[in-house]
Amino acid sequence: MSAVESTVSGAGRRRFLKGSAAAAGSLVVSFHIPFVRDAEAQGVAAAPEVNAWVVVQPDDTVIIRIARSEMGQGSLTGLAQLCAEELECNWAKVRTEYPTPGQNLARNRVWGNFSTGGSRGIRESNEYVRKGGATARMMLLQAAADEWKVPVAECTVADSVITHAGSQRTTSYGKVAAAASKLTAPTEVKLKDPKDWKLIGKRLARLDTVDKTTGKLVYGMDLKMPGMVNAAIRRCEVFGGKLKSYDEKVALKRKGVKKVLKVGDDAVAVVADTWWRAKTALDAMPIEWDLGPNAKASTASFAEVLKEGLSAKEAVVGNQSGDAAAAIAAAPRKVEAVYTYPHQNHACMEVMNATARWTPERCEVWTPTQNGEAAHAATAEAAGLPPAQCEVYKLHLGGGFGRRGAVHDWVRQAVEIAKQMPGTPVKLIWSREEDMAHGSYHPITHCKMTAGLDNDGNVTAFAMRISGQSILAGVAPQAIQNGKDPVVFQGLNPPGPESSLGYAFPAVMIDHAMRNPHVPPGFWRGVNLNHNAIYMECFIDEIAHETKQDPLALRRKLLANAPKYLAVLNAVADKAGYGTPAPAGVYRGLAVTHGFGSYVAACAEISVSADGALKIHRIVAATDPGYAVNPQQIEAQIEGSFVYGLGAALFQECTVKDGKIEQTNFHNYRPLRMAEMPVVEPIVMPSGGFWGGVGEPTIAVAAPAVLNAIFAATGKRIRNLPVGDQSLKKA
Amino acid sequence: MARTLITVPPSPKKGDVIEIRVLIQHHMETGFRVGADGKVVPRDIIRKLACQFNDGTTTEEIVSAEFFPAIAANPYFTFNMIASGNGTLTFTWEGDNGFSQTETAALKVT
Amino acid sequence: MTSGRRRLLLAGAGAGAVSLLRPVAHAQTLLSPPDELAALVKAYTQGAVVLPGKVKLDISPLVDNGNSVPITISVASPMSATDYVKSIAMFNEKNPQRDVIRVLLGPRSGKASVSTRIRLANSQKLIAVAQLSDGTWWSHTVDVLVTLAACIDI
Repeated sequence: MSAVESTVSGAGRRRFLKGSAAAAGSLVVSFHIPFVRDAEAQGVAAAPEVNAWVVVQPDDTVIIRIARSEMGQGSLTGLAQLCAEELECNWAKVRTEYPTPGQNLARNRVWGNFSTGGSRGIRESNEYVRKGGATARMMLLQAAADEWKVPVAECTVADSVITHAGSQRTTSYGKVAAAASKLTAPTEVKLKDPKDWKLIGKRLARLDTVDKTTGKLVYGMDLKMPGMVNAAIRRCEVFGGKLKSYDEKVALKRKGVKKVLKVGDDAVAVVADTWWRAKTALDAMPIEWDLGPNAKASTASFAEVLKEGLSAKEAVVGNQSGDAAAAIAAAPRKVEAVYTYPHQNHACMEVMNATARWTPERCEVWTPTQNGEAAHAATAEAAGLPPAQCEVYKLHLGGGFGRRGAVHDWVRQAVEIAKQMPGTPVKLIWSREEDMAHGSYHPITHCKMTAGLDNDGNVTAFAMRISGQSILAGVAPQAIQNGKDPVVFQGLNPPGPESSLGYAFPAVMIDHAMRNPHVPPGFWRGVNLNHNAIYMECFIDEIAHETKQDPLALRRKLLANAPKYLAVLNAVADKAGYGTPAPAGVYRGLAVTHGFGSYVAACAEISVSADGALKIHRIVAATDPGYAVNPQQIEAQIEGSFVYGLGAALFQECTVKDGKIEQTNFHNYRPLRMAEMPVVEPIVMPSGGFWGGVGEPTIAVAAPAVLNAIFAATGKRIRNLPVGDQSLKKA
Repeated sequence: MARTLITVPPSPKKGDVIEIRVLIQHHMETGFRVGADGKVVPRDIIRKLACQFNDGTTTEEIVSAEFFPAIAANPYFTFNMIASGNGTLTFTWEGDNGFSQTETAALKVT
Repeated sequence: MTSGRRRLLLAGAGAGAVSLLRPVAHAQTLLSPPDELAALVKAYTQGAVVLPGKVKLDISPLVDNGNSVPITISVASPMSATDYVKSIAMFNEKNPQRDVIRVLLGPRSGKASVSTRIRLANSQKLIAVAQLSDGTWWSHTVDVLVTLAACIDI
C-alpha cells in the first residue's frame, strides 16, 4: 500500500508543484498515462514550461497542453495543430499532454474550459490556443535574441530552428527554452492570417493513432495499479427506484470477494480481487428493490402523453414570424404529418468506468471523461472534500458521444465505494447490461408538422409542434428559464450563427410542448438536431411530393437567400449526379441543415429489393465548418458519424416496460455492421470567416437523406424511427 | 409535521459562542421547475426561519433568515449565539401554503 | 449568454484580447460586481455605498450540478453591543431570481457567521452584502464555475 502512496500521491504532488511535463515520474512504473513524457525517468532534467500551453525539452521535443478530451474525434491533434502553427515548431517532434483539472483550478483556469461537447472543442478554443503558441514563440525568439544581443525583429524561426541571418547564427527551441521560461509573456500577440497557415488545413496524421493501433494506449478499463481491487455495481433498473435490501452473505462467501457495499440509496456494489468475480458474485446475490413511482411506466404510456402534447394549447415558442395559424387555416391546401423519434443509448464501446482512491485528506480519480472539470467537481462532492484536495487524471475515451460529459454518475459511484475502503484504489466497471440500463438517453419526441399551400403549391406557412422530452429539464433543471429549453430548437431557430432554419417560409410557428417521461435524458451526439433534421428534411420532401416539385428544386427555392446552405446542398447534388439518371434500382434522397455552427448536406443513394431489403450504396456528404483544421479528420468524422447515425436510424430504440429499459446488449440493440456501411464521399468545403463544429452536425443529415431515398424507391414514407421492422416493400 | 434536525452543543461553557445547526425536511419547490407534463410546478418554499431564546425571564430573537427559491431542498442553516445561560431555544419556520412549524431545544450551560 | 462572454468569464482569455497569460481574477478575490448585480445591490442598500471587504463568502470554486451547494458567509466583527453585524444578504447573477438569503443578526449572535446550502443554475457571480451597526455596507463577490453549464452553451 505504501508503494501506492509514494507513486500516486507523490507524483501527483510533484506534478502540481512543478507544473511541468515531467512529473508523471513513478506513475509510469505502475501504469502508463498516455502522452505524458517522463523526462526524469529518461534521465533528462525536467523541462520548464515556456508558458502554460508549451513545454520544450532540451532535445526540441515540444509538448503541447491539451485541455479538451480526445474521444476518437481527433481534437487532440487539431488543437495541437492550432498551437503548433503559431509556435513554428517541428511538427514531427510534437507530443501532447493533458493538464489535470486540479492544476487548472490551482492556476486560475489558465487552460480555460475543459468541456468537450457541443462540437465546441476547436471552435471555442482556437483563438486562445493559437495565442498560446504565438506567445511561446515570441518568448523563445526573445530568449535567443537576448543571448545573441540582437534585436528580436532580426530573428526568424522555422521548425524549431531560430536563425539570425545577419550574424549567421542558429539555435533551436530546446536550447533557449529554459531562458524563455523566465521571461515575462508579451501582451501584444498577433496571429497569422489564415492564408499563411502551413499546418492548419493540412491532412496530418493523428497523434494518437499509433498507440491505439499497437495496443499501447491505456484506457480506463485497462488500468492496473498496485493494491487495486475491482468493483461491479447494480443500480435499480427502474429509474427513481431505491435499494431495499440484499443478502451480502451470498456474495461474501464466494472466492475473491472482499466487500459488499451500499452505494447511494439506489445501488449495491461487490468488491473482489477480479472484476469477473465481483460481477458473478453480484449476479448471484439476492437484491430487493423498492421500485418507486415509475414501476408501471412504458413506451406505450409515454406515447399517449406525447400524443396529447401535439395538440396541447400551451407550448413554448422557439421560432415565430407572421401568423402561421391564420395562414394555415386560410390555406386551400395543406400538408400534414406526424413523426416520432425514440429513446436511444450512447452505447459507447468502452462502458462506464472509473478508478478512485479516497483517504480523509485526498481523493483521486482516473477516468475517461469529456469534461475533466466536471469530473473533478463530482469527485469533490462525492468525496466530501474541497476540490483542492481532489484530483482527476483524464484518460482517453473509448467513445464519449455525450455520455461522459454532463452526468458523472459512474465517478460518484466509484468515489462512494472508495470512501468505504480508504486508501485502496478501487476500479469500478459497469457491465454492458448496467451501461444499457443506466444511460443518459437521447430524448423521446413526437412531432406534428403542417404546411399551408396556396393554389400554386407555394408554402404560405409552416407550423411545427414538438411534443416531448427536455434534456435540460432532466440534467440541469435550474437552467430552464420561463419554462423554455432552448436546446430543443436546434436546427429550427431564427437566423443566427449556431443552429438555424434555412428555409424562408412566409409565416412560421415552431413550438415545444414539454413532456418529460421518467427516463433520464442526456446529450446524445447531435442532441436535438438529430430528430429535428429528420422531421424537417423528410417533411420538405413531403411538401415537394405533394406539390409535384423535385426535392432539390424546392429546397433551392426555399434556400434562395441562404447561400451557405445552398452551397453544401449543391455540392452534394453535383457530386452525386442528382438530376442525372441513377443506376437501375438506385434512388436518391437529400438533406441539408445547420447545426453547431456548421452547414451540412447529404445525398444518399440506396436501393430496396422486392423483399423490402434496404441497401445503402453511397452517401455524398458536404460540411462547411468555416475553417478546416485537419480535413482528413473532418472526413473521418463525417464517415464515423454515419456509422453512428445510420445504426441509430435503422435499428436503435430503447423501449421501456415496467419502468425499465428493455434493451440489454448488442443483440437487442444492434449497431450498423460493416457489410451494411455505404461508401461515403465526404466534401470538406470551409468557406472561411467563422468557426463551426464538426463532431455533431455531420450526423444529422445521414438519416433524413436515406429516409427520403427510401420514399423515392418505394413510395413508403417512414415517419417513425427507427426504421426497424417496418416493411419497405413498395407501397 | 416535517422532520427536523436541531444540533445544539450539549454542555457549553457559560459565555461561550456556540454554533447551532438546524435542518428541516422540505422540497423547496422553486416555482421555476417544469414537471412531467411540461407545466410549471407552483412555488412552495419555506420563506422564513427565526430563532428565539428564552432564558426564563425574557425572550429575545437571536437570528432570523429569509429564504428564497435559491435555497436548496431540506433547508439547512447554521448560526452562532452566545451561550449566556440555561434556557429554551425556539425555532419557527414559515412558508407558502400556510406552512408553519415550531420546534424547541434546551440549552444547558456549565 | 453569448459564447464570447462565457469565454471572457471562464477562460480569462477574452475574445480578441491578449490577456491570455494574466490569470482570471481568482475566485475569492475582491471584484466589483457586474452591472445587473450592482443595480440590485444598490436597491437593497437604498443607494448607500457598498465597499468590498470585511465580509467573506466561502463557496467551492467548482460545482458539478448546482443542486445543493454549501456556502458560509462570515464577517470579522467583535459582535459587541456597539460594534456588530446587523444583516447579511446574498444575491446571485444567473438564477431565475436574484435573492438567495437575507439574515438579521445582533450582538447575541456572538459571531457573524451563517451557513446554508443553495442552488446554482449556471456559472455565475455571487455577492454577499453585510451591513454593520455603524451603518456601513460591505461586500464580497465570488465567481463560481458550474461545470454542467459547460455542455449547454446557451
